[in-house]
Amino acid sequence: MSKKKGLRSLLKKKILILDGATGTELQKRGMPAGVCPETWCIEHPEVIRAVHADYREAGSDIVYTCTFGANRIKLGQYGITDVIEVNRGLADIARQAVGKKNLVAGDIGPTGRFVAPFGDLAFDDAVDVFKEQVRGLLDGGVDLFVIETMMDIQEARAALIAVKELTDTFTIVTMTYEQDGRTLNGTDPVSAVITLQSLGADAVGCNCSTGPKEMIELIKRMNPYATVPLVAKPNAGMPRLVDGQTVFTMDAEEFGIFGTTLAAGGIAMIGGCCGTNPGHIKELARVMNDRTSRKPARKSVCAVSSSRKAVVFDNKGAVAVIGERINPTGKKNLQDELRSGRMGLIREMARQQEEKKADLLDVNVGMPGIDERAVMETVVNTLSTASSLPLVIDSSDVHVIEKALRIYPGRALVNSVTGEKKKLKELLPVAATYGAMVIALPVTDRGVPASAKERTEVIERIYKEAREYGFTKDDIIVDGVVMTVSSDPGAPLETLKTVEWSARKLKCATMLGLTNVSFGMPERRWLNAAFMAMAIERGMTVVIANPDADEVMNVKAASEVLMNRDQDATAYLARFAVALEETQRSGTAGAVPRDDIAQAVLDGNREGISEKLAVALSTGLNARQLVHDVMIPAITKVGELYERKQYFLPQLIASAETMKLGLSWLEPHLRDDVSSQDNKGRILIATVQGDIHDIGKNIVALMLGNQGFDVIDLGKDVATARIITEAKRLQPQIIALSALMTTTMVAMKEIVIAARREGLDCSFMIGGAVVTESYAAEIGASYAMDGVEAVRAAELLVKKTK
Amino acid sequence: MACPMGLPKTNYDVTKEKMESVVVFETIQISEPRDKIFRRLGYRRGVTTVDGRIEETVDRDISYALSLIHLRGAALRLPIRDRNGSTVVCGQDIVFHSSDIAGMIRDCDELLIMGATAGSDIIDAIVRDSQEDRLTRGVVLDAVASEMADAALDWIVAYFNRTLLRDNRRVSTRRFSAGYGDFRIENQKELFDILEMSRIGVRISDRFMLIPEKSVTAIAGIYGIFDRDEKGAIH
Repeated sequence: MSKKKGLRSLLKKKILILDGATGTELQKRGMPAGVCPETWCIEHPEVIRAVHADYREAGSDIVYTCTFGANRIKLGQYGITDVIEVNRGLADIARQAVGKKNLVAGDIGPTGRFVAPFGDLAFDDAVDVFKEQVRGLLDGGVDLFVIETMMDIQEARAALIAVKELTDTFTIVTMTYEQDGRTLNGTDPVSAVITLQSLGADAVGCNCSTGPKEMIELIKRMNPYATVPLVAKPNAGMPRLVDGQTVFTMDAEEFGIFGTTLAAGGIAMIGGCCGTNPGHIKELARVMNDRTSRKPARKSVCAVSSSRKAVVFDNKGAVAVIGERINPTGKKNLQDELRSGRMGLIREMARQQEEKKADLLDVNVGMPGIDERAVMETVVNTLSTASSLPLVIDSSDVHVIEKALRIYPGRALVNSVTGEKKKLKELLPVAATYGAMVIALPVTDRGVPASAKERTEVIERIYKEAREYGFTKDDIIVDGVVMTVSSDPGAPLETLKTVEWSARKLKCATMLGLTNVSFGMPERRWLNAAFMAMAIERGMTVVIANPDADEVMNVKAASEVLMNRDQDATAYLARFAVALEETQRSGTAGAVPRDDIAQAVLDGNREGISEKLAVALSTGLNARQLVHDVMIPAITKVGELYERKQYFLPQLIASAETMKLGLSWLEPHLRDDVSSQDNKGRILIATVQGDIHDIGKNIVALMLGNQGFDVIDLGKDVATARIITEAKRLQPQIIALSALMTTTMVAMKEIVIAARREGLDCSFMIGGAVVTESYAAEIGASYAMDGVEAVRAAELLVKKTK
Repeated sequence: MACPMGLPKTNYDVTKEKMESVVVFETIQISEPRDKIFRRLGYRRGVTTVDGRIEETVDRDISYALSLIHLRGAALRLPIRDRNGSTVVCGQDIVFHSSDIAGMIRDCDELLIMGATAGSDIIDAIVRDSQEDRLTRGVVLDAVASEMADAALDWIVAYFNRTLLRDNRRVSTRRFSAGYGDFRIENQKELFDILEMSRIGVRISDRFMLIPEKSVTAIAGIYGIFDRDEKGAIH
């Protein structure tokens, strides 16, 4: 029996006990702070041997080698280069300590660098770094591997691939999570378990992170999706800072008690991390007392993941939407972008589709004149960080798909495997190596079969072949193949029959590339939407569509309610909640034009402000009345609400922008109507030289303009000389200056001095993050903290001048 | 070459000091600190009243901002060589004159120097919004970028705390940025150089302003700790 089979067999019998903390044990036994633990252990083998032996005595079935940092990068920081030798030696020591009856796990920790796309360490370089360590541990005769304390799912993947490419040894991968239930890099436990088990981890779990109490929640989240045993190696409680010291408060007895709760939560292996010692492990072993472990919750899972999100496909839940827009076919701007290597449009397309509730993103970069493999790599790296949505790798080139799957920090969906013999033979092993899900397209070397019956035969053949590579029904999504109704009126029905058969007989997830159905027809959206409803009724699980198409997405939401796939219509109600609120709002407004305008300013609702003003003018109100009797009181009220904190900044600015839009629309009418006294005074405003921050200054300018000041904005990073020249030319009542930094703030004083020297008798008003009232007083200026205060200060200054 | 008993040769210099290099974080992925963003925008729980339309707009703007923000970071641990009440010497004779820093790192034997940026796309969008009468969105983007850059530094501290935990070490809870207290803004250049911030797309002006805006640096201390039980006994 191989070691792997032996371990799996052991796991069926009992929950295995792992060891506890090593670093703190070494420190207690004399290892000084700041040294390289691995080489110190080689220099003092009796110490680490005793630590391993103590854990064995305490009841550990498996001890970890002291090789957590024994990779090229970390050892290199201490000038050590013989990585293989260090790992081999430390594995030897562990074996000597525990003998052959206990198992030795080759411990692999993080490199301390983040792997692309999250860091500057290239993915394949990371794989090489880990391979070197794996070779040393294999030489040392370890029984299994443990990749632990990973914060970056991509680094965990690199380490796992390194192991897999060298050996078929049992491998545990445990990530470390923060209090918010995600790794520092944002991976949640469900995404981690889906990604790692599909990539070939034999057990998955968490270590360090938290105490056992909090770790139960992480395990509970993983458990429903786990197809492999789960592992927990918690700290001795949550570390707490007491008088500047980290304290682990949980004693051995309490730690042991939590072991039973973790066992009930589904774990198959348990040990301890920071703060634990052989006493904790002894108690854990006593409490567990050869307790039988639970089988993984399921044999397979129909799900994909990104580094931050998992999508579980469910025939009884909402239909998952694959956003189809990242495909250069017929999109010249995207083609240009891909040729140039820019990624702005790709990011924007991803964002828009995510905002429109896509669940996955299809990525197709196939077009003439590019290196598709290189472009796919760039796009996958970009989207892996720019979007939380899992990716669908869409290409006809197996090498492109292979590259994408290797570097993708999640479990991707491959679009697609067909019944074409060559493609099937090439693509299935690649998808299997990286644990991807595949879309099965019933297309053969002779083309697309016309009837549903022929298609189902192809699907059965693809499934049979896929099983040879370890795929289950949960790893496959059947595409019904959508043909256009304009060229074959019977085609959509055959597609629907294929979907129905796949969903109800084969019991597989199903999908359609929706919009093909309407090609060549006018008003395609209605055909698309109708086809969506029909396919949902037949059991469709996933759809490739443009999530920006409201008709399709609205019909999808409605169909899910009607097919009982949206419990309590929650998603439907959420989708239309704002529309409902708008309807209710519009039902109560609009009786009196001037109230409507005031309300628009108060609400900061610029939609239709011009129409509202036009209506008001048509009822006999003049522009001046609208400004002075309606809009200025409204914006003044907004200022008051803001000062009382009842409004926050976006409301203040939205109101100010509504007002500005209204004033701008009214301007031609005011020109005939308004006397010069409406201008409260001229203000020259600028951000001083060397300072490029100007959003605060822009807010102040907007607020002053709305209140009737003639504001001349010189912009940001404005030289003192220019401010003085413009002031002499325009003769403002006030010069308003903004600065955000202490190094640039000094220019304010220079400007005041220069202005006085040039004989300008205007007032000064200053503001900005570092500016204080006392500094303003010191240089002879007024101070305003924000836009509302600036209006008040400006009015006061102008009044004084007059 | 293995020595007898199967052990490797034992000629390692275990006293050799660890050589740290700048750690570059090409993409820092964090959830947006929505509460902090709202607070920065002046929202006060229980006082500010926001209707669904505004809230949806602000959330959409936050989401837009997040799509434009590319958080990158750099960090370096440096051993403290010498110190007195107003001066700290670290690394290869890098000297910081600041009694605030000296006070903050009183119990520390290392400095953690860190920097982060929200990238230039978000700044370009803020400028465009300001110029094109979309200031409402512009202020939201500005607030999101500020909070995300700060959160990136929090993330870097959390990252180091996570890696230091195993060594019984920890990053100080306080950190200092150039321009605050007596740690003069001119130190920004030294921090910029130490962190090789050009590698993460940041420049510095002759007035020590980091470009793009929403780029930040800070210094914290790292100190050693002991395991103690609740009664304070060291194990």
